[in-house]
This record gives sequence, structure tokens and C-alpha cells, in this order.
Amino acid sequence: MNPAVTISLQVAGLATLLTVCTGLPLAWLLGRHRFPGRTLLETTLVLPLVLPPTVLGYYLLVLVSRQGPVGALLDSWGIELAFTWKAAVLAAYVGSFGMFTRAAEAGFELVDGRLEQAARTLGRSEWSVFWTVTLPLGWRGVVAGTMLAFCRAVGEFGITLMVAGNIPGRTQTIPLAIYDQVQANRLGAAHQLSLLTMIVVAILLIFVGRLTGSRAPG
Amino acid sequence: MLSVELLKHFPGFTLDVCWQAEEGVVALFGPSGAGKTLTLQCLAGLARPDGGQLKVRGRVIYDSIRGVNQAVRDRRLGMVFQGYALFPHMTVRENIAYGLNREARGVREQRTSEMLDRLGLGEVRDLRPAALSGGQQQRVALGRALAVDPDLLLLDEPLAALDSPLRRALREDLRVALRGFGKTAIVVTHDLAEACQLADQIVVYDRGRVLQSGPKEQVLARPVSPAVAGVLGIRNVLNGRVIESTPEFIRLAWRGHELLAANWREAPDRPAPGAGVGFFVRPENIRLMRKDRQGPAGERRTNLVSGTVVGETDLGAVVALHFVAHGEGSPPARGYDLEIEVSKLVYQKLCVDYDRDWTVAIQPSAVQLLPGR
Repeated sequence: MNPAVTISLQVAGLATLLTVCTGLPLAWLLGRHRFPGRTLLETTLVLPLVLPPTVLGYYLLVLVSRQGPVGALLDSWGIELAFTWKAAVLAAYVGSFGMFTRAAEAGFELVDGRLEQAARTLGRSEWSVFWTVTLPLGWRGVVAGTMLAFCRAVGEFGITLMVAGNIPGRTQTIPLAIYDQVQANRLGAAHQLSLLTMIVVAILLIFVGRLTGSRAPG
Repeated sequence: MLSVELLKHFPGFTLDVCWQAEEGVVALFGPSGAGKTLTLQCLAGLARPDGGQLKVRGRVIYDSIRGVNQAVRDRRLGMVFQGYALFPHMTVRENIAYGLNREARGVREQRTSEMLDRLGLGEVRDLRPAALSGGQQQRVALGRALAVDPDLLLLDEPLAALDSPLRRALREDLRVALRGFGKTAIVVTHDLAEACQLADQIVVYDRGRVLQSGPKEQVLARPVSPAVAGVLGIRNVLNGRVIESTPEFIRLAWRGHELLAANWREAPDRPAPGAGVGFFVRPENIRLMRKDRQGPAGERRTNLVSGTVVGETDLGAVVALHFVAHGEGSPPARGYDLEIEVSKLVYQKLCVDYDRDWTVAIQPSAVQLLPGR
């Protein structure tokens, strides 16, 4: 198999896992609560979806390069981030985080607040209410968000190029490989990768459509 | 023992209530927007009051001065939500067992089975709420709240989600269930018949205040103010004496007339002969007897009262007649005994505007006894 496919799956998989773990509490907060600064937070989440990826990549690089504040700290612990596969994961994570959070938030917003209240009156803690009521009823949005986040992570190009570079066999993901192949006029290979990506993403999108299209609970 | 003292401000609305209740069923009665549901939410901890004190069986669950505000989950209250709020992704059994998660598995299963049997839900135990009838959903909601053996049961319009015939049928079931609970249960309702049938005590709410609180008989028979009577919507509240009491009907003496009331009460609740009893007749349930048709042989009429129309109020499509019965005693302070509603058409056809002496007929089913005990 093309090494780019393996790298892409690993990077996108890891980034999606990271996105779900960190995005879930935030989506719950946004979907179930009203608090000051909520609009600002939502805007911040949309920003990565609309900013040019190179702009994001630039600032991310400033942060994580060895001279940057985060990069310097990591360097002191002996961790190198910029232009490694870890940077590719970070790039995919930044690109997909807003995508996941918006979809999961929409899923949580559909949950009837009285069901959570009922659970509280029956002696359950907030933690327990989330796992037994909110998540089981809002899971469609979470799963849809996870799939969208994975698609976005697989498709991530600009941020990855800026912070992880385009090193074949190390940081070269499918979109970067396709770009390289077109540059080298290997159109057949480019087509192979493109077709594969398109089929996988299309299948995932069909699932997302099914999950968010019907509103039946459970 | 329950003690409620609440203050909560909203723009354009203030809830400022204070009432107490003993064990038994308390109906919070009043029009929508009076603050009944808000009171329940404050008790349950789902809304935070601005001031006051809430005490359940000697336990302070909220006190603004001492800074006590127990979390919802620590209050040990059972709540039946309007529309029931059953967990749609769980079966009936899982819904009922939900609050028992801290019990040992054996205890949990035993208590759940007991509750399923008690409420007649055994056959639907593995169904989801969406597959249940309205009445079954109501029982699941009740079972889920009762399963945790709460110190106080709160029911927000427990029958409002049902169709009217079913609602009447289920009222009795609910009454029995609440009697069996043994501690204080609070029912929010804007249906007077529901309040009468379910409650021992009625707290009359209006615009964020309590107008009257007391035993149901007292509130119904002796409203403390026109406002209470208005909220209760009772216009023809009368007092009579029981002559005869059978499972089918109750015969009353009132102002020298005999009135027959259809009975819907079981033996221990039925008023005994000789007892004074309050009753009311809705103005729309009293009919004027047509003089040209009165008296043909074989036509049986009960509850005929003769008297005089002394005044009237034009209500548009209907006219409310003020009627004084002939007979013993005298009408109450308002100057007439009965308010009778007739359609404008009948009013004109019978020339009520100048023909003032009438005999009226009251359906026995329309004579509503105001409950004894």
C-alpha cells in the first residue's frame, strides 16, 4: 500500500480521537448551557473552518517551531514537534475540531432538558446524567461529528504542509501525495488516491446524512 | 409536614407564596401563569428562589438566610413532569429502575418488579415509552418517581396530557395511588374536578400569590374572597342536607325542595343521611321548563324547582338569569339562589324578558356534591 494512505489513516485517526476526547465536553457545554462568552467561543470554533489554512498553519508554526513558546517548552523536554508526524496530527486536529464540536453541539441541543431534570430529581449526578441521558439521546450528533471530523482530518492539506511539511514516508498524507504526483505528472497514481479518498469520504457522508436526517430518538 | 415560603422575581411577575401542608394530597390550583409549576420547580431545586425557606419532613432543603440550597439529587423528591419526560431510550423497567442505581442489584430488581406489579405494568415492562398508551406512560412516570421512596411527591399536571374521557377514568387510579403513598404529594392542576377528586388540601394560586389554603371542603364551600370564587369558577355553590344516601344517588333537601344527585362515591366517602353537604350546579346545566309542554302524563321529571327570575346578565350568545327559588329560607347575600345560563335564542323564544316565573329542571348528574372526607 502507498505509505501516504497508512500515514493518512494514522494521522486522521489519532487526530479524530483527540478531537472527540477534547471536543465532547465543549460540545456538551455549548449545547446544554447558556453562559457569558458563549458567542465568542462559538465564533472561535468556526474560525479555523473559514480562515485560509495557510494562515492557521503559519500561526501554528510560529507556536510550535523550536523558537516558538510551545515549541521551546517541548524542546526543553526533548520533544520535537514541527515537521514530524505529530505536527501532522496537530494540524488535522486543529482543522477538524470545530467541525466535530458544531455537529455534536447540535446533537446535544436536541435533547429535551426535562429528561435531564428528571434524571437529577432521581438522584443522579451531572456526570451520570450525561452518560445515561444526554449522550444516549444526543449520540447521533456526536457520531456525525466524529465522521465529519475524520473526513476533514483526512482532507487536511494547508495546515499540514505548513507545520509538518511534505516528507514522503513521514509526514506526507494522501492530499500531499496527490499534489506531488500531479506535480510529477504521474496522473494515474494521483487518480488512484483521489478515487479512494472520494469513495471513503462519500460513504462516511451518507452515514452522516442518515444520522442527522431523521430525528427519531434512541 | 411540608412548609413552603418562596420569593422569586421575574420581569413582570413575582412569586410570593407561603403555605404549609400535612401528609396527604395537596392540590395547587389556579389559572395558568399563576406560579404553580414554578413552585414545584423551586421545591425540586430545578429553579432557584430569590428568598424564603423550604422544609420537607423537618429537613431544610432551601433557606436563603442560612444559605442552604440542596442540590436536586440530594433532595429526595419524586417528580412527575408534565408530559411525563420518560426516558425514550429506555424500557419501562429501566425507566422505573433509573433512580435505584445506588441500591444493590437484588434490591433494585425486587423494588422494580414490585412497582411494575403495583401499577399493572408487568406486561409492558420491556417496551419503550413510545409504544405505550397515555395512561400507561402516566403510570410509568409515577412509578419512576415512587420507586426511590421520596419524602415528597411532586406532580405537574399529571393528567393534562390525556384525552378528557381517559383523564376522568384515570383520576380515580391516581387518587388511589396517591393515597397509598402515605407522605405529602403535591398536584399542580387547573382542573377543579381533578383538584376535588385527588386532594385533601387545596392551595388556590393566582398571579404569583396564594389566595386561600386549607382543607378542600373548606376552600370549596367557603371561598374567602370573590377572587377565590372567581379562580374556582364556581357560581352556584349551595348547601343542603342529606335525606337518603344510596350507591346510585343521594337525595338532598335544599330550600324546601328535594334534589337528587347522581352519586360517584364509594361507601366510606359517601355522606350519611342527616349530614349537611355542600354542592354546586353549573349554570349551563339548569334548564327552564317550557310551560306549554309541562305536565303530560308519563313524563318523569326530577329536581324541579319553581321560582322567579330577579335579574340577568347578557353574556353575548347566552344570558345568565338570576333565579330565586320559592320555598323555605332565603337566598344568600348576593340576592339570588341560582345563576342559570340559557342561549339567547331560548331566551327570546320563551319571552323570559317579561315572563319571570319559571320552573327549572336540574339533571341529577349535574348536581355535584362537594366531597365529604
